[in-house]
Amino acid sequence: MADTVTARQATATRPAGVRPGRRGRRTDWKAVGAFTLLTAPMVVGLGLFKYTAIGWSFLLSFSEARGTVDLGSWVGFDNYAFLLEDEAFRSSMTGIVLFTIFIVPVTFGMSLGLAVLLHGVRRGRAFFRTGFLLPAAVSYVVAALVWKMSLFNGLPSGVANTIGGLFGWDVQSWIAGTDPPLYWIVIITLRLWLQVGLYMILFLAGLQAIPVHLYEAASLDGASRRAQFRHITLPMLRNTSVAILMLILIAAFQAFDEFYNVFMTTTGNATAPVRPPLVFLYDTALKGQDYGVGSAGAFMLTLLIVLVTLLQGRLVGFGRKD
Amino acid sequence: MSTSLTSRRAFLGGSLLFVGGMALSACGKGDAVKAGAKVTLEQWYHAYGEAGTQQAVIRYAKEYTKANPDVAIKVNWIAGDYSAKLHSTLLTPQAPDLFEIGDFQYVDVKNGLLAPLDDIVKGQEAEYSKASLESATADGKLHGLKMMDDAMVLYYRKSVLEKAAVAPPQTFAELAAAAMKLTSREQKGLFVGSDGIGNAAYLLLWSNGGDLLDPEGRKVVFNSPEGVAAISGLKQLHDGKSLLLDFTTDWYDPGAFIQGAAAMQWCGLWAMPAIKKALGDDFGVLAWPKFGDSGRAVSRIGGWFAAVNAKGEHVEEAKKFVEWLWIKQAELQKDWCVSYGFHVPSRKSVAARTTEFTSGPAKDAADILANTGKAYPNLWNTAMDSAFAQAVLKIAKSGGDAKSLLDEAAAKAQAELDKQLA
Repeated sequence: MADTVTARQATATRPAGVRPGRRGRRTDWKAVGAFTLLTAPMVVGLGLFKYTAIGWSFLLSFSEARGTVDLGSWVGFDNYAFLLEDEAFRSSMTGIVLFTIFIVPVTFGMSLGLAVLLHGVRRGRAFFRTGFLLPAAVSYVVAALVWKMSLFNGLPSGVANTIGGLFGWDVQSWIAGTDPPLYWIVIITLRLWLQVGLYMILFLAGLQAIPVHLYEAASLDGASRRAQFRHITLPMLRNTSVAILMLILIAAFQAFDEFYNVFMTTTGNATAPVRPPLVFLYDTALKGQDYGVGSAGAFMLTLLIVLVTLLQGRLVGFGRKD
Repeated sequence: MSTSLTSRRAFLGGSLLFVGGMALSACGKGDAVKAGAKVTLEQWYHAYGEAGTQQAVIRYAKEYTKANPDVAIKVNWIAGDYSAKLHSTLLTPQAPDLFEIGDFQYVDVKNGLLAPLDDIVKGQEAEYSKASLESATADGKLHGLKMMDDAMVLYYRKSVLEKAAVAPPQTFAELAAAAMKLTSREQKGLFVGSDGIGNAAYLLLWSNGGDLLDPEGRKVVFNSPEGVAAISGLKQLHDGKSLLLDFTTDWYDPGAFIQGAAAMQWCGLWAMPAIKKALGDDFGVLAWPKFGDSGRAVSRIGGWFAAVNAKGEHVEEAKKFVEWLWIKQAELQKDWCVSYGFHVPSRKSVAARTTEFTSGPAKDAADILANTGKAYPNLWNTAMDSAFAQAVLKIAKSGGDAKSLLDEAAAKAQAELDKQLA
């Protein structure tokens, strides 16, 4: 698309002396050539490395493929049936749905709340904005290790245990303990810290695009701050909100890094109390070399994401004209 | 307009230069390629943590080329998830000719990835431990040559045990009692892993005479009455709150033991130099104690195997190199095992000549390894491990019914085993 725009701009900025009609009718071979040259690597690359791979993986999902990606030993829907019967995969799928139901509103609410607060700040806005956005630039792996090794380690000297000690709490094992499942605190704080800043910036951009005169008029009419938020801010942010909601939703389903790294042991993730689908599939396909079952699981997860996204689109009206 | 044209041209030129540069730099990878050699073998190692190991293997490769000018060896040092990277690369034409394998997997043999090495090992079988030969043998042929043995043993802090009047535990009951007695606010009795599981479930199973598979490797048997009883022992340890959990590093690292966060730790022989440096003589090693009177003490044998890509272009040359380095070059094997890290040479004759293992805890560990070392069967794969581990997790931490959970996991593992054997 960017290239079409460039081509159009080139036409638009043609010097006034040239008659546009004559060249407009003839095919501009130079532009076509440039377009082809510039887009070809992208298109070929996508086709070769993405779509071929996806298609191949789809075929693999109907094959018995252990330690090989060769097709040939077709097993029909066996891999799908195996996963549907597998308690570990089922709990992984239901787990991710529950996790999504919880994490999406929380991430959304916190980002919006922070953006509104920041929008109202008169001084030091740039400082806070940068401060909140900074975690978005931190690697998930690094952050997960900081959370695991420094903040939530099981030693009395760990940060969380030190703070707990001030309130007289016992030393807790935050990640290995499953009763109560304190590991959710570790996972959720980590995820929010990493993600909220970015969505906050998007909301902030949306807020700044709302014309000030709407608020001025509302103030003159005597609308309270709360009414202004409900009747001006929220409706004017609708498009931003819908887009962000979709991003958070997909990011939730794709959860991998924080789960993988927080629960990682010497031998991998086998003893993790929760394994989201991507961790499960990584273990199956890349660790276990079972590409058939791994591919089948990937398509089932894709189907779930598509369904939920469509459902969400229905509910909040993504792409609906105002 | 002219500016936009120049910038576009500049962009295109820049892109071409970038692509060209990438292509050129991609050609410059790898070490120790000797010009003039007829055959270049590509060899993969996982990234060993010990300083000097990479230089060592490059030096071995160069010495081989000096003796055999026709063959050069290009060493690739693979960081990250070695096994996943190796297996994905073995599916491509870029597959290395030589590589190492940590946990031997039957599926590699079934897929014809590994060249049989029987002809070069012939007559040398007695040199290697039975456990190592068994894990590399599949379909009646040997497919990997042990490069070194790693012993995994129970370390205990002598002074701490003495102070608490605790004797080094010889049974599981003694171990559990000792762990309780050695636990205080600042120190836990035992560290088996950050997740509180580590290798413990396997060790418990083996220490009560149980096993993962039957001797023929056709049936999953970890849900035997012995297995159920022993694995339930892990719950006992968790309930006693005597296990160190969520330490900053996992059991492979001696940090918890050195810092005094745990009085006993399951760890590898590789950590002994660091422990010795920090604690002097204030430590000893034990096998994992027997579960009951009918059981036996056990330890785990690990380490790496040298393997040859059966689908490579230079199988014979690669086998010759393996034979030269891992069978004939006793001095290099010794250098490899004790000059950088700390491993037991896998060949008995070499181990006997290695003075590091003639006294003290190092000798104890080598003896424990020789007498009690167990390895995973090569039919034991990730999916089976995962089913087993999830059952153990529920037994140890959530108080699930051990019998039914292990039965369920065994059924799942059996299905997986049947698929492998099909």
